[in-house]
Amino acid sequence: MHTPAESRTAPRWIFWLLPILALAIPLATNPYTQFIINAMLIYTLVTLGFSVVIGNLGQLAFANTAFFGIGAYASAMAGNALGLPWLLTVPLAGLAGAAGGFLASAAALRGIRLYYLAIVTLAFGELMRWFYTHAGALTGGTDGLALDRGDIFGLQLNSDTVQFYIFLLLTTLLVAGTVNLLRSRLGRAIVAVRENEIATASLGIATSRIIVTAFVWSGFVVGIAGAMFALHTGRVFPESFGLTQLIINFAMVLVGGLGSVIGAVLGAVALTALPEYVRAFPGMEEIFFGVIVMVVLLVMPKGLASLLRRVSPIFHETHHRD
Amino acid sequence: MLMQLSIAGISQGAIYALIALSLTVIYRSTTIVSFGHGDFVMAGAFLAYILVIGLGFAFLPAGLLAIAAMFAIGIVFSRGLIRPIRGGPHIGLALMSISFGFALRGIARLVWGREVLPMPRVFDVDPIFVGSIIITGDAIFTIGIVAVLLAAFFILLHLTDIGKMVQAVYQSERGARLIGIDVSRFHDFSWGTGAALGAVGGVLIAPVSFLHPDLGASFLIKGFAAMTLGGFGSLGGSVIGGLLLGLAEQYAGAYLNTALIDITAYLLIILVLLIRPRGLFGRKVVIKV
Amino acid sequence: MTSLLTVDHLGVHFSGLKALDDVSFSLEAGQVRAVIGPNGAGKTTLFNAISGYVRPTHGSVRLNGAEIAHSSPHSISARGLRRTFQNGGLFPALTVLENVMTGLHMQTEGNFIQILFGLRQARQAERDAAAKARRLLKLMKMDQMADIPASELSGGQQRIVEIIRTVASEPPLLLLDEPAVGLSPIARAQMMEIIKRLSGENGVGILLIEHAVELVMAAADRILVMAAGMRIAEGTPAEIRNDKTVLEAYLGHA
Repeated sequence: MHTPAESRTAPRWIFWLLPILALAIPLATNPYTQFIINAMLIYTLVTLGFSVVIGNLGQLAFANTAFFGIGAYASAMAGNALGLPWLLTVPLAGLAGAAGGFLASAAALRGIRLYYLAIVTLAFGELMRWFYTHAGALTGGTDGLALDRGDIFGLQLNSDTVQFYIFLLLTTLLVAGTVNLLRSRLGRAIVAVRENEIATASLGIATSRIIVTAFVWSGFVVGIAGAMFALHTGRVFPESFGLTQLIINFAMVLVGGLGSVIGAVLGAVALTALPEYVRAFPGMEEIFFGVIVMVVLLVMPKGLASLLRRVSPIFHETHHRD
Repeated sequence: MLMQLSIAGISQGAIYALIALSLTVIYRSTTIVSFGHGDFVMAGAFLAYILVIGLGFAFLPAGLLAIAAMFAIGIVFSRGLIRPIRGGPHIGLALMSISFGFALRGIARLVWGREVLPMPRVFDVDPIFVGSIIITGDAIFTIGIVAVLLAAFFILLHLTDIGKMVQAVYQSERGARLIGIDVSRFHDFSWGTGAALGAVGGVLIAPVSFLHPDLGASFLIKGFAAMTLGGFGSLGGSVIGGLLLGLAEQYAGAYLNTALIDITAYLLIILVLLIRPRGLFGRKVVIKV
Repeated sequence: MTSLLTVDHLGVHFSGLKALDDVSFSLEAGQVRAVIGPNGAGKTTLFNAISGYVRPTHGSVRLNGAEIAHSSPHSISARGLRRTFQNGGLFPALTVLENVMTGLHMQTEGNFIQILFGLRQARQAERDAAAKARRLLKLMKMDQMADIPASELSGGQQRIVEIIRTVASEPPLLLLDEPAVGLSPIARAQMMEIIKRLSGENGVGILLIEHAVELVMAAADRILVMAAGMRIAEGTPAEIRNDKTVLEAYLGHA
């Protein structure tokens, strides 16, 4: 029995319930848990941006970590070299990430797809890391770049609580924008390109524009997450944006469910809140995330979001079938 | 100077060629790119290290054992982790090999931490002088082994029934099944062979470089660069691509800037894919849009 | 008077092979023209050359008098020439409704910013598109299927939904690549009904590749017969039925 789509998707106000409830979180946390919760908000955006490209658009692009690093360094460099307050570096970081997304989409439009795209975006990410290491005072080399956090409107930006409210606002807005995008004709076209690019073009849709849109939006969201990360950690290092970061991103996307917005939130929350012993010994983190990805691929390829959809139709998103 | 650089480039390039060859063997027989391959190389090197340093084996038996172990690991990986999702999307297959590599890397780091391990040199033979050029024993050995392996694979793939089988499976798995090829076992065997070949690379670099759990990543990218330059899926192309990459690194490092050695491979990948995606010897890239 | 579609000495030659050679014909609004011929005759190449998926090396294609021979598929489609695909062009993961709405993409208002912020114009445009898509599905008695994934439809239903999606934007010209292949006799009759209705009632010009002879004879106003990339005959169904060259070509290739 199939009910009409209107009654299957959640009403719009439900979306805003979660961030409103989240406003109360700092009342119940200590500095450590608050720090972790802030990281969850950052990783929600990182995962979401990644998921749009590898899930919805279905392109094997591995440049997500590069977008993240570009955003973080753009924010730190603009703060250091130009003396901009952090808040003003956020849109810059988004634009820098979007520019990275545009470059990656240019490769895809050149006909570099599938494994070629994976390889060229992997190389792009490593090249960026090499740049951070070798660009001298501009990026601070292997020592990284410290952030002068300062304050906005008299609020100290090194406070985890202040950070939380800023991050909550940014994350909510960007998730809302992504949901709107994916539910629109553009979101349908993005999935259509994944499913059958030739047929998509036959409907008058400029598929190259759709591919650019998905990549640029992904880069924008992840770039802003990078600026949040720079504020969160107070210092950006080349090593933060290496291959370990990439496997963490993969794990979050897969655990949540490829191409699902709810999944991106779930994956980010579940895997950021890792028990500390996973990080207690060198190597444990890699084993943990590696094994998680393998297990999810084998037993739950549609991720946690697919379990939720089975529970209730209000978790249904467009373009996801089980 | 130029000659000396060329010798260094060729001996380094021979390793890249070997890794590109091992990637190509897997790609040609399974149409999957092994993104965890760098960690196969790393694991091969570490296994050899354990056998030599920890258990007191001589280098040769240690190397052979390490290669055999990686062959087995490749087969187990194929059968246990790739086979169940074989029919699924490419993203899943790529992620499976990446995450397996990560787990291997994590294990190495768990055991050795962040130390960098030196292994004693194996070929303490005097270098040969040809005029003013010095050729080390390591270089001769590396180039020799790689040349023998390459020749063996060329004969295997171009002059024997196994080569025809590879071609048949590559072109149509269903067709191959119809003529009685056990495609699944063939895939397992290919993964084993690819992992073992990667391990040969690891065993060869073990005595001449420092070992650390992350060494695989750079070799993976270099293998990719060699494949991309030579033409994806082309056996000869991957070998020539590897040698050219080794030379390009040396020349760029000596004549331009030493920092460029690290990124020659990345730049090469990006340039080749943008200018001539099929590489030097590859068939025209067919993109199914 | 300019025709809806004018194909003039069209050719696709590559490395000595003539996949399509010197084909000319025209098509008027409300007319159904079938293209028949043995496998490898160049029928699909003709379609691909007209719809922009293969670049013609010779000749011209004009849509309402305007040259389209070297335009990209999406811009040709945006100008009102839409096509279906022989192996099916639906998006399996999208629902039937979403598939049809994708066909309305160009008619749906709302720019990127309006969409991103969920502004009223964009949301209203979405609702309008959904309503129109449902109306079309209902017209073809497919509204019961609207919310199931396209992958769950039968082969015949998929072909019908693909046609609904293709005509949703009300294009003046339609290219159908073997719409009846693999259909049951009942579904075939239904398909013929749809084709007749589109051309008769809506005045759509239809170019049709089809192997089902009875469908071609009943639905087409004119038939173009091809073999080895060339046109070998042209005429009304009655003329083609009695044409010696056509019989020979078919027997020769059988």
